[in-house]
Amino acid sequence: MTKPMDEKRVGYFCAYTPLEVLNAAGVGHARLLKAGDSETVAAGELFTQSVFCDFSKSCIGGFAQGDPFYSAVDKLYNFHTCASMKRVTELIEGFVPVKLLNLPKLRDLESSRLFFRDEIFELKRDLFELIGHEISDSYIREQIVRYNILRKLIKNISELRKRDNPPISGKDFVEPARAFYYVPPEKLIDTHDKIYRALSAVSGAGSRPLRLMISGSIAADGDRRLLDILEGEMGARVVVEDHCAGLKPFYNTVKETGDPLLALADGYLDQAPCTRMKTLQDNVNFAGQLAQEYQVDGVLHVYLKFCSCYGITKKPFLNHFQSIDIPVLDLSSDYSGNDYGQIKTRIKAFIEVINARRSKKNGSNTICRRCTG
Amino acid sequence: MKYRLDEFIGGRPWKFTYDRPVIGLDLGSRASKGVLLTGKDIFVTLIATGLYMQETADELIEKLLVLANVQRSEIGFITSTGYGRIALSFNDIPFDVVTEISCHAMGAHALYPEARTIIDIGGQDSKAIKVDRTNGMVVEFAMNDKCAAGTGQFLEKAAVLLGITLDQMGTYALTSKSPAIISSQCVVFAESEVISLRAKGARVNDSEAVANIAAGIHYSAARRVSNLLGRIGTEPELIFTGGVSNNPGMRHALEELIGNSFIPTTFDMIYAGALGAAVYATQHAARGTAVSSASFDKQHTATTHINELIEQEQRAFIDKTDGRKKGRLFLRLYTAGSA
Repeated sequence: MTKPMDEKRVGYFCAYTPLEVLNAAGVGHARLLKAGDSETVAAGELFTQSVFCDFSKSCIGGFAQGDPFYSAVDKLYNFHTCASMKRVTELIEGFVPVKLLNLPKLRDLESSRLFFRDEIFELKRDLFELIGHEISDSYIREQIVRYNILRKLIKNISELRKRDNPPISGKDFVEPARAFYYVPPEKLIDTHDKIYRALSAVSGAGSRPLRLMISGSIAADGDRRLLDILEGEMGARVVVEDHCAGLKPFYNTVKETGDPLLALADGYLDQAPCTRMKTLQDNVNFAGQLAQEYQVDGVLHVYLKFCSCYGITKKPFLNHFQSIDIPVLDLSSDYSGNDYGQIKTRIKAFIEVINARRSKKNGSNTICRRCTG
Repeated sequence: MKYRLDEFIGGRPWKFTYDRPVIGLDLGSRASKGVLLTGKDIFVTLIATGLYMQETADELIEKLLVLANVQRSEIGFITSTGYGRIALSFNDIPFDVVTEISCHAMGAHALYPEARTIIDIGGQDSKAIKVDRTNGMVVEFAMNDKCAAGTGQFLEKAAVLLGITLDQMGTYALTSKSPAIISSQCVVFAESEVISLRAKGARVNDSEAVANIAAGIHYSAARRVSNLLGRIGTEPELIFTGGVSNNPGMRHALEELIGNSFIPTTFDMIYAGALGAAVYATQHAARGTAVSSASFDKQHTATTHINELIEQEQRAFIDKTDGRKKGRLFLRLYTAGSA
């Protein structure tokens, strides 16, 4: 359909941004998630010291290089995510108008919920200034229903990977997952429904591949290196992701009744948690539960170098995977690409460890191990 | 070089045999090692790694065949490992690939089955490996990051700075009474530390200064490696493999830091990876598993369609043609399976 040329376009970074409000405002919106090449990192590094992760540098780099997709954004909304991304947002203000909002991290507190509701209200108010008309509560509520449908669909698509022989690879699953951030939900529901049906119909016959979970730092749209190695070269299958560009944002839904802003506040705070949220134990338990639910043979716990969320939480995660008897490979990564060979060696050795463990007959007294890189 | 198996295993049964000779190749970042295994002998050879892995591998094989006096056609299986393992192919001999982590574990286990914890330091990386005493399989491992601190290359660079050969590094270090403090974990920074230490040491007996710095370098590298060990725990017996295991200074520094000594080895453990590869060759030959690239890259058509839709939407976002309906949309009742 044709469109009014004055429509506004909004960008955001974090899975804690209530898309229902953006969609209700009738603005175009997209998650700025494209990263993975070293040139964009270098463009961002002109502005930062090296202790920022390559993803945050890429966010700056995208604007600094004048990436057309980033340049199309009229305003950037960022809920104060991690320490690095907050600073990055402040810097991006030099390229595009920015609205920084707060995200309370202490999920246990009732006051956090009310506070986050106020922040979402502030988002709504700011959007009103941008678009010049009110966003009604009933319309937001409608978007909640719509996004819930989509979340459930993507979760259902993911759950087809619980089969012994998953009908889609981890790399395939990236597509419906990332579409959520680029394609309006009203267009996506039918498409995803078709995908779900088509994949459900795929025969489950065939042997059981090695099943892995990727956990940890953000996997940007464009950072497919691990998937390429694991699935393309090793023949393993990534059956689930414990990170915010994989299954995580679709795991839970938002309440569809009552005050829609409070429902969003609760829903987003109660999504499968990011490591910056407290308590950390919630995140650790969720990761373990996900690994068990999808019956994985091993976990790759990925730390994007200098990631301020996952930079200090390694031990509790590794210990927890160990305690539930799932082998884990601790892996640090960046977008330089020059450690491809080493990462491959580590992953292959990890797979050799898992296979040795599986083939050992009396597995009763083998202690689960972690491998670190 | 030729060794008789019973030099190392005495009367112990040797469970890694195949009815034909097999070869293990370990293509390292600096040196490439080859081992030819018959039922009773171990032949080993070493050459510098060339630019072309296949040429390096072919040269190793050629040398091993001459050493062992066997024909190429007699070789039952080749397993390769190490940093250049991927770039190989042999059309006349069944062949596969195992990581150096597994190979070092298996090589150490084959000759020294009491080994539980392995430290392997090579040209560009260092590893701590825990091995299953019953079968030589890896239980757990930790490997250095892409940084080369604490590896052979680090020692090599330091030797150049000190004006001595790499072989002298270790022996110099052992004579030191007060090792210099080299705090940097980074080769580049350690280098500038060494330069400033040298500047200071110029006034005292030079060889003493060199010895102290050499010892400091070894302790600095050893600290890196013992940190790796810290991640998997130190369960005796310990064994030291890889090219750097021949460096007495490094051995001493590690033993001191870990507070544990290594199993004394009569087999040159620079060949541990190649020997492990050869042992894997016997097993894989017996099982008949040659290399197969098990990849999964066929994309489901359902998701390729989505890919197009995403591109279309991104294009519209850029071109500002992505208008949305304002106002209320009719939302049909929809249930998406049971979540």
